[in-house]
Amino acid sequence: MIVDRSDEVPRLKWPRRFPVPRNLGVAVHSRIAEGKSWPAPEGATRIATLRIYRFDPDGMAGPRLDTFRVDLDDCGPMLLDALIWIKSRIDTTLTFRHSCREGVCGSCAMTIDGTNWTACTRAMADLAQPAMIFPLANLPVIKDLVPDQSHLFAQYEMIEPWLHAETPAPERERLQSPRERAALDGYYECILCFCCTSGCPSHWWNGDRFLGPATLLQAWRWLADSRDEGRGERLDALEDPFRLYRCHTILNCTRTCPRGLNPGRAIAEIKKKMIERQG
Amino acid sequence: MSHRRPKSPNMQNYRPQLTSVLSFGHRLSGVALSLGAFGLAGWLMAGASGQDAFGSAQALLLSVPGRIALFLVTLALFYHLCNGVRHLVWDSGRGFELRAIYAGGWTVVGTSLILALALWTWWPA
Repeated sequence: MIVDRSDEVPRLKWPRRFPVPRNLGVAVHSRIAEGKSWPAPEGATRIATLRIYRFDPDGMAGPRLDTFRVDLDDCGPMLLDALIWIKSRIDTTLTFRHSCREGVCGSCAMTIDGTNWTACTRAMADLAQPAMIFPLANLPVIKDLVPDQSHLFAQYEMIEPWLHAETPAPERERLQSPRERAALDGYYECILCFCCTSGCPSHWWNGDRFLGPATLLQAWRWLADSRDEGRGERLDALEDPFRLYRCHTILNCTRTCPRGLNPGRAIAEIKKKMIERQG
Repeated sequence: MSHRRPKSPNMQNYRPQLTSVLSFGHRLSGVALSLGAFGLAGWLMAGASGQDAFGSAQALLLSVPGRIALFLVTLALFYHLCNGVRHLVWDSGRGFELRAIYAGGWTVVGTSLILALALWTWWPA
């Protein structure tokens, strides 16, 4: 009932999702049909069932939910291993992003059993049966588990995530005391997997104008940087009913961050700075 | 591309968590209180327009559905109040550790239930 760390898997078996119809308010072309069910591999004794969202941009049909059965004795321990196993043994067309396989690149972020996490750091043993594997929530889907994140990156670009400095560049680097550097701890580690933004109800309803937790955490990362001289303009750009203030402190972001960061706190710090400068 | 890009499901697929459920509850209880304010105004107007009207209003309020509605409004009031305090703490930049978020959330649920039940148990009816 009490959650200490974001990597704790939800313990309650019910409710796994909100009690609304699967296709409630969903546009016709986004409705999910029942897909193909693949049999268990022959001779397998330990089997995990994965229900995976599929969408083929070259086909005529809309998205569907396929059922795969994975031989746990023949594949690695993490969900990403199982996806790779399916791709090499059952269906080579299964498409997903992945790179580092150790939770530092953020490529394989997806909605796993209803919460967002990176597939490479979620153990198969921690999945529900059958496990529900969807692309990151609330994004246009390019193919299968690959969402189009260009809007999210455009929002990230809006906060100008680079050092703003008026003073002439020094001979060597711009210096920071260990204490000033420590102010960035908990913020610089963000890998831009967008698990938080994709899990934020406020971003679901107002994502066109609300920047979302990932981008706002990055905004705070630059506001908190002692070397940055653009604080005023940065706050001006965020002083907006939608960009910042559509955050209603729901805190799904902090619950779902695969890096254990705290976008909720970062946003609160920005709001405090807004108040402070009003004097 | 022969098919428009579909949108991956959000609300329809995301797990209800204490974080989101209590936030939806805050919005819902706020709406309930706004409706309750209309009810309160109607009750006062009935009282101002004479004994008959007030009698009908009382009969409506004290009927079983009326009492259930009244109980839900008091629950909404205490929930909105307690969760409002939780939001004030957050606005001060404190209480963002996951443990604090969850402990505070459950405290709000428990406190608002206890306050509503206590009011209905001990209010001199």
